[in-house]
Amino acid sequence: MSSDEDANDYFEYEDDGFEDDEMDQEAPVKKDYDVAYNVKTLSQVIDMQKKAIANIQTVLELDASTAAILLRHFGWNSEKLQEQFFNDPSKALTDAGLSPPSSPSAHTSPLLPPTASSSTPPRITRSSKRVATPATTRSRSAVSIQTSFECPVCCIEYPAASLSTKTLALGCGHRFCRDCWVEYVVGKIRTDGESAKIQCMENGCHRIVKGSLIDQLVDPDTSQRYRKLLNEAFVSDTATLRWCPHPGCENVIECSQAPPRMLNQIVPTVTCGCGNELCFGCGFAASHRPVLCKLVKLWQKKCADDSETANWLQANTKECIKCQSTIEKNGGCNHMTCKKCKWEFCWVCMGPWSEHGTAWYQCNRYDEKSGMDARDSQAKSRASLERYLHYFNRWANHELSAKLDADFYKNTEKKMEAMQQSGNLSWIEVQFAKQAVDTVIRARITLKWSYCMAFYLKRNNQTELFEDNQRDLERAVENLGYLLEQNPEPDSISKLRADITNQSAYVQKRHDILMDDTLKGYLERRWEFSVDI
Amino acid sequence: MSDARLRRVQKEIRDCAKDKTSNISIDMIDENPFHLIGAFPGPPDTPYEGGYYEVDIVIPDAYPFQPVKMKFITKVYHPNVSSASGAICLDILKDAWSPVLTLKSTLISLQSLLCEPVPNDPQDAEVAKHYLADRAGFNATAKHWAQAYAQAPASKVKATHGKPATDADMAGLAEENVVSFTDMGFPREKVISVLKKLNYRGNNVSNIHESTVLEELFK
Repeated sequence: MSSDEDANDYFEYEDDGFEDDEMDQEAPVKKDYDVAYNVKTLSQVIDMQKKAIANIQTVLELDASTAAILLRHFGWNSEKLQEQFFNDPSKALTDAGLSPPSSPSAHTSPLLPPTASSSTPPRITRSSKRVATPATTRSRSAVSIQTSFECPVCCIEYPAASLSTKTLALGCGHRFCRDCWVEYVVGKIRTDGESAKIQCMENGCHRIVKGSLIDQLVDPDTSQRYRKLLNEAFVSDTATLRWCPHPGCENVIECSQAPPRMLNQIVPTVTCGCGNELCFGCGFAASHRPVLCKLVKLWQKKCADDSETANWLQANTKECIKCQSTIEKNGGCNHMTCKKCKWEFCWVCMGPWSEHGTAWYQCNRYDEKSGMDARDSQAKSRASLERYLHYFNRWANHELSAKLDADFYKNTEKKMEAMQQSGNLSWIEVQFAKQAVDTVIRARITLKWSYCMAFYLKRNNQTELFEDNQRDLERAVENLGYLLEQNPEPDSISKLRADITNQSAYVQKRHDILMDDTLKGYLERRWEFSVDI
Repeated sequence: MSDARLRRVQKEIRDCAKDKTSNISIDMIDENPFHLIGAFPGPPDTPYEGGYYEVDIVIPDAYPFQPVKMKFITKVYHPNVSSASGAICLDILKDAWSPVLTLKSTLISLQSLLCEPVPNDPQDAEVAKHYLADRAGFNATAKHWAQAYAQAPASKVKATHGKPATDADMAGLAEENVVSFTDMGFPREKVISVLKKLNYRGNNVSNIHESTVLEELFK
C-alpha cells in the first residue's frame, strides 16, 4: 500500500493491499466471496485526485484548475471526460461551468476586459426570465470599466486605477469587487458547505469559481475547510471509494469489486486500517456477514418500526367497546369485566355479557361465520408475529451478548490471572482463554446475522441445511461459553485448558463452515428469499 | 460588512423611488431599513389585475449574499403562494438566488410569478389542485380574492352577477354543491373545508362519490 506502488496506475488496483501486515491477520486466504480492497489515508486520497488531475492536464492540455473542474463535473470519470471533450470541447467546458478556452488564464489576470460576454453560455433559466433587466446590469459594468466601476453587489465605486487590485472577474466577464467575492465565497463554504460547484455571482451565470482563485481569496482556515469539502465530494462521487464510518478515523477504503449491482451476491466486508470492520457495500460500521446489505436494511427498518408493536397488539388484545381501553386476556373465562369502566362483556363475540344469560362459559354466537372469520384472521396475524419474534429474540440475544463483550473480557482476564497464580502457568500459557473469547464474540456476531438471514429465507431444503449449520454453530458457541464461565480449579486447569482449546477450534470450524457455505450460496444462487433482492 | 448591507439597501430604496415606470414601491416600516414593505399592482390580463399586492420583506444579516425573505401580506389565491401564510415558493428566493438580484428585481419576479403559476411545484397544494382541475373556476376564485383582499374594483373584473362574493365563491366552490351538504345538517364551515380539501370542483364533482364526502364530514 505504499504510495510508490500505487504511483504507476491510480485507477487500476488489482491490489497488493493484501500483502500488508494489517490485512494478513483478517484475511490470510482470499476466498471467492471476499473482495480485494485498499485502505487509503487522507493524504493518499488527495494524491489520487492530484494524479487524476495531472493526467487530464497532460492529455487535454489544460491548466490544473480547469482539469479539476472538468473532472468533478464528470464525476471523476476520466474516460467519459476525455470522450466528451474530444467530441466537443466547448460543450464539455460549458457544461462543466467554464466557457471555451478563449480565456484560460482569466483568474490570474483580473483585468481581463469583459469582451468575453459574447462567448458566455446563453442564460435561459426559469428564474432569469422573471428577473428584471439583466442586460442593463451587464452594460453598466461594461461601460464603467473604462472609467470607474461600481460593484453591483455592494454599490461601492472604484476608480479606474484600482480596478486591477480591488475588483475581479471570472472568465465570464462579470466583474465584482474583491471584498464581495471574499464575502460570497466564504459564505458559500462556511454556511452552505459548497465546494466544487460555487458559481459566479451574476444571476444565471454557471461559471465555476476555480480552486486556485478561492485559495487566493479566503483565509487559511476557510481554505482548509474548502479542501476538506472537496475531498468529501471526491470520495462520495467516486463509486470505488468509501469513508471509514468509525469515529475519529479518516481513512478511505478503495474497492472496485463491489459495485451496487453486485450486492445481491456478495457481502463486501472489509477491515479498515483503524482495525475496525465495515461493509463496503452499505457503510454499515461492523460486519453483517453473511447477510446481504439489502436484507440488513429491511431488517433494521422492521425492527425499528412500530408496526410490530401494533401487530402484537392486534394479535393479543381487544378494545373495550365502552371506554376503548386496550385489554389483554391472560387467562380465565370469557366473561370479561373491564377494569377501568366495569363494562361486562363476552371476549369471544364482544357483545354485552347480560345477553348471554345462562350460557356461562360458552358463547352461543361462537359458531357464527363472522366470529369464525375474525378468529381466523387473528390466528394468522399471531402466527406471523410469532415467527418474527422467534428470529428477533435470537438476533437480539446475540446483539446483547456482543454488547457485554467488555465484561466478558474483564471476567476472563481475572480468571487468567487466577490461573497464573494457582496453576503456576506462565502468561503466554493462559492466552488461550482470551483467544477463545475472541472466537466466541466473532461467532456470536455471525450467529446474530444468521437469524436475520433465516427470517427472510423461503422454506426449502437449502434453508434446512442452513439452519442445520446455524444450529451446530449455536451449540458449539454455547458449549464454549459454558466452559469459559467455569472457575478453574488448580488440579483441573490443564484439562479445562485442553477442553477450551479444542472447543474453540471446533467453534472456529463451524463458524467458517456456516460463513463459507452461505456466502458461496449467493454466488451459486442457492438461496431463495421471501423478499426481492 | 453590515455597512455594505445598509448602503446597498438604502441605494435600492432610493433607486426604486426614482424609477416611476416600474410601478414598484419599497417602503420602510418604522425606521428599520431591514424590514420593509414592497408593493406592486396585479399584472394585467390576469385574475389579479386591478389588485394591489403588499409583500413583507426581511433583509437577512448576510444580504446580499443570502436571499432576501419575502412573503405576501395581501392574501393571494395562487398555486405558489400559501393561501394561509403568504409564504412564496420561488427558486430565486432559495437556491437560485444571486447577489446581483435586487429587491426591485425580486418583486418584479413575484409579479411575473402571478402571471405564470408553476402548479407542479406548489406551495399551496389545494390551490394547485384547483388550478389544474378547473382553470375557469380557479380564475373566478382568484378574482374574488383580488376584490376582497387586494382592493381590485369589482366592476372591472366582472364579479358574478355583481353580488358580493360569498364564502363558497371565496373557496372556489359552487353554491349548489355546498348547499346539498349543508341541507343534510352539516355546518357550512365544515362543508366548505371538506369540499376544498377534496377539490370538489368542475369535473371532479362527478368523480367523487357522496359517501367519500360524508366520510370526511363525519371525521
